[in-house]
Amino acid sequence: MATTRALARLATRQAAVRPATSVFSRGLASVVSESKTSTTPDPAPSKEPKTKTFHIYRWNPDEPSSKPRMQSYTLDLNKTGPMMLDALIRIKNETDPTLTFRRSCREGICGSCAMNIDGVNTLACLCRIPTDTTKESRIYPLPHMYVVKDLVPDMTQFYKQYRSVKPYLQRDTPAPDGREYRQSKADRKKLDGLYECILCACCSTSCPSYWWNQEEYLGPAVLLQSYRWIADSRDERKPERLDALNNSMSVYRCHTILNCSRTCPKGLNPALAIAEIKKNMAFT
Amino acid sequence: MASIMRPGLLRQACSPAASQRMLSTFAASSVKRSSPLAQQIRPAFERSSILKSTRVAAFHATRSQQILPAPPQRVVGTANDPTPVPPPSPSHGSYHWSFERAISAGLIPLCVAPFAAGSLNPVMDSILCALLVVHSHIGFEACIIDYFPKRRVPLLFNSANWALRIGTVLLGLSLYSFETNDVGITELVKRLWAA
Amino acid sequence: MASQRIFQLGLRRAAAAPGFTRFQPAGRMVQRRLAATHNVSSAEGQEILVKQRLQRPVSPHLTIYRPQITWYASSFNRITGILLSGGLYIFGLSYLAAPALGWHLETPSLVAAVASWPVAVKIAAKATAAFPFFFHSINGIRHLTWDLGIGFKNKTVIQTGWTAVGLTVALGAYYTFVG
Repeated sequence: MATTRALARLATRQAAVRPATSVFSRGLASVVSESKTSTTPDPAPSKEPKTKTFHIYRWNPDEPSSKPRMQSYTLDLNKTGPMMLDALIRIKNETDPTLTFRRSCREGICGSCAMNIDGVNTLACLCRIPTDTTKESRIYPLPHMYVVKDLVPDMTQFYKQYRSVKPYLQRDTPAPDGREYRQSKADRKKLDGLYECILCACCSTSCPSYWWNQEEYLGPAVLLQSYRWIADSRDERKPERLDALNNSMSVYRCHTILNCSRTCPKGLNPALAIAEIKKNMAFT
Repeated sequence: MASIMRPGLLRQACSPAASQRMLSTFAASSVKRSSPLAQQIRPAFERSSILKSTRVAAFHATRSQQILPAPPQRVVGTANDPTPVPPPSPSHGSYHWSFERAISAGLIPLCVAPFAAGSLNPVMDSILCALLVVHSHIGFEACIIDYFPKRRVPLLFNSANWALRIGTVLLGLSLYSFETNDVGITELVKRLWAA
Repeated sequence: MASQRIFQLGLRRAAAAPGFTRFQPAGRMVQRRLAATHNVSSAEGQEILVKQRLQRPVSPHLTIYRPQITWYASSFNRITGILLSGGLYIFGLSYLAAPALGWHLETPSLVAAVASWPVAVKIAAKATAAFPFFFHSINGIRHLTWDLGIGFKNKTVIQTGWTAVGLTVALGAYYTFVG
C-alpha cells in the first residue's frame, strides 16, 4: 500500500514540475513584456475536416523481391501545413514513420525534396497542396531514376555527370590588379538565370531523352551548369569546354522537348541554355 | 483497381509492413484478430480491417510490359569520379547538327511552293526528293540512337543502322528513277489528291 | 517517518536503475531498434552497395508524367515524322521492286487505282497523309526557331504549341475534305 502511494506521489511530483519549467523558460526567452505583444489567435478549426488522399510510391530495399507499390494516406488539410512537404512530414510523423524522402531547407534552396508530384517534377517544399479535396494527389520519386527507397532516387550518375563538365573557373592569366577577376556588369548579367540552379535534377528527370540515355546524354541541369561556365567572361577554357560536348551524345540528344524549362521549380530555362550551347558550337 | 482484387497482392497489402512490425506498440493494436469466424472469412475481414489512411495498391507499370527496360544499375568508378568525356567528333556533333538544320530549313520553301504553284519543275522536284531522303535518313538515325543505344543493344544498333543505310541508298535509286521516268513527286501527290 | 523517507529514496534509485524501466509506461515515442548494427570496412560496404544497386527498381516515367504540350508535341513530331518517312521508304522501295514483282506503281495506274476507291476510303487516306504532314511541317518550324534561340519562354512555348495544333487541324481538315 505504501509502495503504491509513494509511486503515485512520485508521478504527481514529476507532473507538477513541468509547468513550472516551461514558465521559467518563457520568461527567459521573451524580452518584450507580455502586455506589449499581440498574439494572433489560432485559426478556429473549421467544423468539416478537409480530408485529402495522397498516393505515395513505396519500395523497400529490405524486401528487394517485392515490387514497388502505391500506398494511400489520408490527411485532414485543416491540420496540415500548406505545402506538399508539410503533408509528407506529417504522414511520417503521425501515420507511417517508415515513409522515406529527402528534405532539408523547406524553402527551395537545397533541392533535396525534388520529386514527381501529380505528374510534374517539382520541389515538395515549393508545391502547394491543391485544396481541391476531391482530387487525389500522387507522389512519385523523380522519373526514370534508380530508387534507393520510397521517394529517394539515386543521384550518383547525375553528380558524376556534373563533375564531368568541370563546374569551376578555369583560368591561367592572373588578375591585372592581382586581386580578383573582375567582369563588367553586362558580362555578369549573362550569368543571371544560370547561377541560380540548385541542381535538384527536376529538369533532367523530366526529359524523355534523359530517361532513355542518361548514361551518355548529360541532361538539362548539367548542360545548364556547363553553359554557366561557357558564358562566364572570366573563364578561359571555353573551346575545351565546347569540345568536350561536341559528340553525338553529350548535347545532341536534346531534341528541344522543353519539359525541362516547363518543370523547373526555380523558373530557370535550361532549354535556352542548351540552345545557346548549340549555337556556340555551330558558329565557332 | 483490378489489381487489388488479386489475392496475392491483397495478402501483401494486409500483412503489416516489416518496418511497421518493428514499432510494435503502434501497429499491433490496429489489427485485431480475435473471433474464429473472422479467421475463417479472412480475406473479406482483412480488407475491412485495413486502416483507411494506409491503403496499399500494387504499382501498375510493371517492368515486364516495357520495351527495352532499363538495365540493373551499375556505376562505373566511385561516386567522386566524373563520367568519361567522349572524344570530340564534330562530324557527329556540331557539323551534323548544322547540316541537319540546313536541310530542314531548305525543305520549308520546297514544301510551301507546291501549294502555291501546283507542282514543282523537275529540277526543284529532284532537289526536294534529295532533301527528303537525307532528312528522313537523319530522322531515322536519331531514332535508332535514341531507342536502340549502342552501349546496350550493340547488335540491334548496328543492324538497324545498316538496314537504314541500305534502305536509304535504295530509296535514292528508286526516287532517281521515279524522277527521271515518271512525273515527279509533287505532281504525283497532286494527281492522287485530285483522283 | 524516517523509514518511509528511506524507502522512498530507495524507490527513486530503483526507478533510475535500468532494470526497472519496463514498469514505466512506454509511450508511442519510445523506439525499439531490433536491428543489430556492426561495423563494415569500406570495401565490404562498397560490395553491399553494388549488390543493392542491382536490386533497385527504376521509378515510373512515361506512364506517370503529366501530359503537357511540350513533350506530347515533341513525341507526335517524331511519330508523324516516322509515319511520313516510313511511307516514303515503303513507296520508294516498292517502286524499285515493282518491275520484278509485276506491280504497276506508275503514276497513271496509281491514279486510276485511287480513283476507283470509295469516297470514305479516299478521305481516310487523305487524312492519314495530310494531318501528319502539316503537323510535322508546322512543328518543324517551331523547332527551327528554337534552334535560333527564339521563343523559349514557357508561355510562348505553350502558345506556339497550341497554335501548331490548331493550324494542323485547320489545314488538315481543309485538304482532307476540300482541296
